[in-house]
Amino acid sequence: MAAFALLSILPVCSRAADSAARWLDIEFPRDSPVLPVNSNLGLTTARVQGASMVLDLHASLLLRNTGTKPISGLTLRVEAQDITPSGKGSVTVPSLRIKPGEVFPVRIDMELARPFNAAGAGGAIVQVSLDCALFSDLTSYGPDQLQSRRTLVVYELEARRDRSFLAALLQSGKLAELREELNFGLQDLTPQQLGLELLRAPHRNRSNEQALQVGAVSFPSSPVKTIGGAAQVAGSEVRSPEVEVRNTSRKIVRTIDMGWIVRDERGREYVAGSVPAALELQPVQTGRMTEPGTLRFSHLTGQPMSIGALLAFVNDVEFADGKLWIPSRADIEQATSDPILRRALANSPEQQRLSEIYRHKGMSGLSEELRKGN
Amino acid sequence: MTVETPNTGHPALADLALFSSGDLPRGARWRIGRHVKHCSDCERQVFSFRGAKTELKREAQTETLTAFEAIADWTRLEREMLGNIAVGLAAARCIEKVGRKRTLFLRAAFALALTGLFVLGWLTHIPRDETGRLYASLQRLVTLNRPQQTTGTVLRTTADGIAVRAQGATLTILHPPSAVVSLSGFSAVSARYVDDDTGQVTVTKVYGQ
Repeated sequence: MAAFALLSILPVCSRAADSAARWLDIEFPRDSPVLPVNSNLGLTTARVQGASMVLDLHASLLLRNTGTKPISGLTLRVEAQDITPSGKGSVTVPSLRIKPGEVFPVRIDMELARPFNAAGAGGAIVQVSLDCALFSDLTSYGPDQLQSRRTLVVYELEARRDRSFLAALLQSGKLAELREELNFGLQDLTPQQLGLELLRAPHRNRSNEQALQVGAVSFPSSPVKTIGGAAQVAGSEVRSPEVEVRNTSRKIVRTIDMGWIVRDERGREYVAGSVPAALELQPVQTGRMTEPGTLRFSHLTGQPMSIGALLAFVNDVEFADGKLWIPSRADIEQATSDPILRRALANSPEQQRLSEIYRHKGMSGLSEELRKGN
Repeated sequence: MTVETPNTGHPALADLALFSSGDLPRGARWRIGRHVKHCSDCERQVFSFRGAKTELKREAQTETLTAFEAIADWTRLEREMLGNIAVGLAAARCIEKVGRKRTLFLRAAFALALTGLFVLGWLTHIPRDETGRLYASLQRLVTLNRPQQTTGTVLRTTADGIAVRAQGATLTILHPPSAVVSLSGFSAVSARYVDDDTGQVTVTKVYGQ
């Protein structure tokens, strides 16, 4: 068996450029404001796993801002048409400040598993293309097939909010508060993590399901209020959650991104994520957001999580005029008295990045970083 | 045991080859080592063996790398892997021990006897209604806890990344253990982390449609 195991591991060292091209196909439009300068495949390995062959692919792209405006973020679309035609991935890098002419790296680490004897088209194994690039003036470029423009704009607005909040704390000398915000040395306040499984197939066994009321976490300045909601829950599974909302602003709402919080059997709360939905609402109008499919939750250890309660909050709102609302820091402060939940609600990508800078470079590094963008 | 070449007093070529690769027993190694130290012909022979071995190793490595680089599509990779598996299985069959059938038979007979004893003990000591209750509880437990079989496209978090599985194939985007995983719409799962090498915050997603 040892011989079998040894022989079934096949290291593939892809150094030659033509070989890399067959693994990876990088396609950017010619007029793109961001273009690949170089691509590199690191140590890539192939192995046998059960009745499947598994390929570990580690690629690094070097991109250049060839446009005239600074780039704030971008999303690359990653596909493996040969093996998962109905599934794809993306890699987004927000919180960038790339000036025209500057280069920056993007890494793609992925694993592809395919059963033996599966038919293939014979093209490149992985295809990488640009989905959207966001500029500092919040204009964008790209086909936006993954609706990444909206996500990038929200990330950028959150980044600006958090940078000015942290910069204000720094300037006013509130260093203890700043340290607490950056989660330094406060492991107990680290947001809880969970495992997820999203099933698209219709649910078959509904005998042990129970209807569960959905509670609301409200932000005072939110232009959309959650009125109520319900979901079908069975053990660790949540099916067809729905929420009723009302537009309390004077503007027409186009899209609402609803955030979900899951409370387990021990009362611990997890921010499970958010679900955007196109729902046009006139001022004062109410509407219902319904999602098909089933969500299965588990702890990080893989143990199924028993759902105790579900809470919903309005994560962001897009108006008909294209403007976006996100909760302010004051909104998050007032929304809940639970410090862990508050931290989870405020945990933006930029805050995560700044926390890492503080962890590695201390207060001087953080202060230097905050000076760059403000 | 070492053999000396008749009439010359030099060790045999085979022994010198074994000495050059350090494969001789300690006594013979010491004896030939002493000879080689004082005999320039044999020393030259040992050096030539060592040089040839290094050259062979280097060539084998170069050839292997070239072959792996050429495998850049699934079909060739699959052929290569299946070939390796076939060789591995043939090797495993060759080293199967004699008498395996007899051992298997004895183990099966022992397990059967033990099961028979357990069933007999159960029937004579446990009341019938208790057996029925236990059976019903087990059945309920199995029905409740059995994970639902899923078909179609499935998105899930794994220990190493976020994955989309469809038609038996899986695409996983890998992330470090510190990543924060969340739902991103009802057709996508995302993971967010700070890349140690680039210092950039990176958000990966897999989509089910």
